[in-house]
Amino acid sequence: MIETESGVFLEKTKKDEILTPETKIDKSVKPVLAMSNEKIVIETKTLDFYYNADAHALKNINIHIPDKKVTAFIGPSGCGKSTLLRCFNRMNDLISDAFHTGEILINGVDIYKEGTRLEDLRKQVGMVFQKSNPFPMSIWENVAFGPKVNGINDKDELNEIVESALKQGDLWREVKDRMQNSALDLSGGQQQRLCIARALANKPEIILMDEPASALDPISTGKIEETIEELKKNYTIVIVTHNMQQAARISDYTAFMMLGELIEVDLTKKIFTNPTQKLTEDYITGRFG
Amino acid sequence: MSTEHKTPKDFRRKVERADRWSRRVITTGGYGIIISIVSILLFLIYQSLPLAKGASINEILSMPATRSENPVVLTGVDPYLEVFYELDNRGSIKFYNVDSKALIKEDQLPLKANEKILTAAKGNLTKEIFTVGSDSGRLITSSIEMKPEYTKSGRTIEAMVYQEEEWQAATENDTIPNHIEKLTFVENSDGTRVWSWIDHTGKLWLRIYDAEDEEEYLYDLSEDISGQITSFSLSHNAENLVVALKDKNVYWFDISDFEKIQLKDRWTLETIADAVNYLLGDQAVAIGGQDGSVSVWFPVRSPANLFKFRKVHEFISHNAAIDQIYVSSRNRNFLTVDTKGNVKLHYSTTGQTQLEFKPADFPVTAAAFSPKSNAILVVDGQKRFSLYNLENPHPETTLKTLFGKVWYEGYPKEEFVWQSTGGSDEFESKLSLIPLIFGTFKGTLFAMFFSVPLAIFAAIYVSQFAPKRLARQIKPTIEIMAALPSVVIGFLAGLYFSPLFEEYLMVIFLFVILLPLFFLIALFIWQRIPEKMQARFPLGIEILFVIPIGIITLVFAMSFDHVVEQILFQGNFQQWLYSTLQITYETRNSLVVGFALGFAVIPIIFTVSEDAISNVPESLSSASLALGASKWQTVRRVVLPAASGGIFAAIMLGLGRAVGETMIVLMATGNTPIIDLNPFNGFRAMSACIAVEIPEAPVGGTLYRVLFFTGLLLFVFTFIVNTLSSLIGDRLRKKYARF
Ligand SMILES: Nc1ncnc2c1ncn2[C@@H]1O[C@H](COP(=O)(O)OP(=O)(O)OP(=O)(O)O)[C@@H](O)[C@H]1O
Ligand SMILES: [Mg+2]
Repeated sequence: MIETESGVFLEKTKKDEILTPETKIDKSVKPVLAMSNEKIVIETKTLDFYYNADAHALKNINIHIPDKKVTAFIGPSGCGKSTLLRCFNRMNDLISDAFHTGEILINGVDIYKEGTRLEDLRKQVGMVFQKSNPFPMSIWENVAFGPKVNGINDKDELNEIVESALKQGDLWREVKDRMQNSALDLSGGQQQRLCIARALANKPEIILMDEPASALDPISTGKIEETIEELKKNYTIVIVTHNMQQAARISDYTAFMMLGELIEVDLTKKIFTNPTQKLTEDYITGRFG
Repeated sequence: MSTEHKTPKDFRRKVERADRWSRRVITTGGYGIIISIVSILLFLIYQSLPLAKGASINEILSMPATRSENPVVLTGVDPYLEVFYELDNRGSIKFYNVDSKALIKEDQLPLKANEKILTAAKGNLTKEIFTVGSDSGRLITSSIEMKPEYTKSGRTIEAMVYQEEEWQAATENDTIPNHIEKLTFVENSDGTRVWSWIDHTGKLWLRIYDAEDEEEYLYDLSEDISGQITSFSLSHNAENLVVALKDKNVYWFDISDFEKIQLKDRWTLETIADAVNYLLGDQAVAIGGQDGSVSVWFPVRSPANLFKFRKVHEFISHNAAIDQIYVSSRNRNFLTVDTKGNVKLHYSTTGQTQLEFKPADFPVTAAAFSPKSNAILVVDGQKRFSLYNLENPHPETTLKTLFGKVWYEGYPKEEFVWQSTGGSDEFESKLSLIPLIFGTFKGTLFAMFFSVPLAIFAAIYVSQFAPKRLARQIKPTIEIMAALPSVVIGFLAGLYFSPLFEEYLMVIFLFVILLPLFFLIALFIWQRIPEKMQARFPLGIEILFVIPIGIITLVFAMSFDHVVEQILFQGNFQQWLYSTLQITYETRNSLVVGFALGFAVIPIIFTVSEDAISNVPESLSSASLALGASKWQTVRRVVLPAASGGIFAAIMLGLGRAVGETMIVLMATGNTPIIDLNPFNGFRAMSACIAVEIPEAPVGGTLYRVLFFTGLLLFVFTFIVNTLSSLIGDRLRKKYARF
């Protein structure tokens, strides 16, 4: 507001231009691929995302993400995988100049619908970050954090939740005797599994993972992959990865993105063996990326 | 080829040289800072250490037995410790040189043949005026002057004896003249002279010469007293007389009205007082007992509003009866001499016995303080003279007087008092640091009450909630506040804000109470506004609502202040305060200082804690938000604990600043050194006290050193605060801030 008048003026026109009613939802554009035979949990309709009026990060994304499956996002660096992932729990709202057009539906409901509580959405859509980020608190406090901020105060109930979350996160055996120790004393791999357990403690429906194993050694990575394998029975998982083998190993579906566009989505097997798009094949075979 | 090889080598050498030099410069700088801090500390210690030094004496003269058999009745020394005199019982006055021990002058009091001096007494603490009483009933008053004369060869002391007056006590018959057995004498600053003596029949007489009206009075006090008198003393202002009796009773006469001598009080001792003497200040009386006990008494106002003598200080006892007490003309020091020749030096106010020595194997017949109290002269029964240099720079300060309650003359009880200067020479400075320490902490406390919540909430708002653009404006603005010289803040607070505060006290009072209330109402209204409309306002616009709410509250407070004052405080808050709570309202009070000092520390606390909060990694708050925590939950449960070390350090830094801040507390308080938690009173802080008093304090004097000691204390406080802050801050950081 305190910027030069011309600055404010310019910014407004550009953003307003993007947000003209006609461009808001362009029904003419078809989704690249819809996995119609599955129950769909997340769905985007002509989603365009801007970090600011000059940074058009996602372009016309139409994707269906099926229930209780692992969907992997792959693509070259900077193509918008993380951006798209963060759209699903509205983490991008934190960026002050960012805005979007189009719709994001979870279970058929627009997550930007008036009256949506952000806290409820994020409880429903958990997230695991690339770099493990445990709170500087005890292990127990870390896992119990989500339930606590969402209103659960009963100690026994919390204990139960913590135990089951840690078991699902495959960390229970290692930490059950030192629940009150600082989470920061855990190894890197353990910390990341703690973050997974922390997300699970909220009993989410969907878990978003942004390169959860990229900073870890192969053994820790293996453990995380096992955990994901185990989790997909109960959760819808969306994972961003740079590791093609990892995508091939753990995911049921793979989405390939480039320069903010969704190029192709299909069964992982199909993408890795017989992609429809030339770009996808080039990327998979390592001709660029 | 060769040149190509040379360049990288040269370059490496250059880099190494630069490395070496920068290391040296940095090391020098680091050590320089440490050295300068340590030297400040050492200087403060060096300046205040002499306070801890006790009294000591060393003999500078010992002149063995003399030429005549006649015992010495009076002795004294000149201010430069060059000449001393003796007066023997035949009236012969002899002056001796201290260095050469040579007789330099001799004089004679006008005694008749065979007339003997039985008693002699000095009448003034600063002048060598004295009276002798003889066996033929005469009171002969003379004075001695030992004046320095400056010649080319240096300073010589010119000694003179002046005859002042003679007086003959009435005798009943000529064959048995009226002996003057024991005598005290005083000449006060007006020139009024009072003599009091016992004759051979045991009667106590009082003779007064009123210099103003040139009138004489003579009283026989025996009518009021029954029993044998052991000792008596006149106060140096010629207003009081105390008389001790063999039956252990002590009588206190008020003789200030020469026409009407009044018996004011009578009390009983546990021992027979063989020696009593008024100390400097004319309040306290030192009493030496037959059992060797030494105590100081002075009148204390009783609940019935009468003054009664009370025993206030007790000192280390002698092993024999005390028969003489000598009083210093400079301070509350006095000497007690017992019959076996032991001498002790006491300091009244502190209750301390500072020294003990035995000049000879023979009883002491006479002693004296030098005029500057820097030497003690003692004559023993064998006419041996000893002169001691007395090194006693700060007898009035002990740990007890600095930090404990002291019972000062004229006070009803033991108290912490800071009163460094008074009207007269007899004034005793009272240097208790407790009121100053209290003042410092009172000011700091009020400042912290005001500044800590404000600064920390501001820091939280700016770093977590404010729109980025607004935050970028607020931060430097608050930081500019730190650049405001504290003298400006102090000036504004003391001269402008405090009268305003007094005038609008009710308005401010109402404003502070109503503001949160109005905020809640505004918040309630805001929540009623449909979300769609809320969303139309840019993020962070709420800050713009604060201003109108503030204005509305102010208008409200200003229009209702009289009504509220009328209803709650009977129309006048200050009068109500005084009549119901016995609290007087001072214009420059602690609240005003709290605001001003708080204003000065807000920037520090804000800046440091804002940095600490901003430095909490975003990944932590993202994690919290992603778990469904609200913004406020995230701040409270994740961000603030993680920043707690830094916030703590910020508060401690602010505390350190507030403790040491000088100009504001100097200008915005009345600087009254009182101990009272009441917010409408002023106080005196250590730093302000140093600033106020050091220009007036004589270099090397007690006040000077006590002020340096205060500085040392401040240094230590700041040191403790900083050490604590870094220790606790480190622990908090270890616990919460390992990211
Ligand atoms: N906060 C931001 N502000 C502006 N532009 C951003 C911001 N974050 C990301 N971008 C830009 O948006 C584009 C997509 O970024 P994104 O992080 O989604 O890529 P990515 O596919 O996750 O890449 P990587 O594989 O390297 O993580 C990039 O060009 C990036 O520079
Ligand atoms: Mg990414």
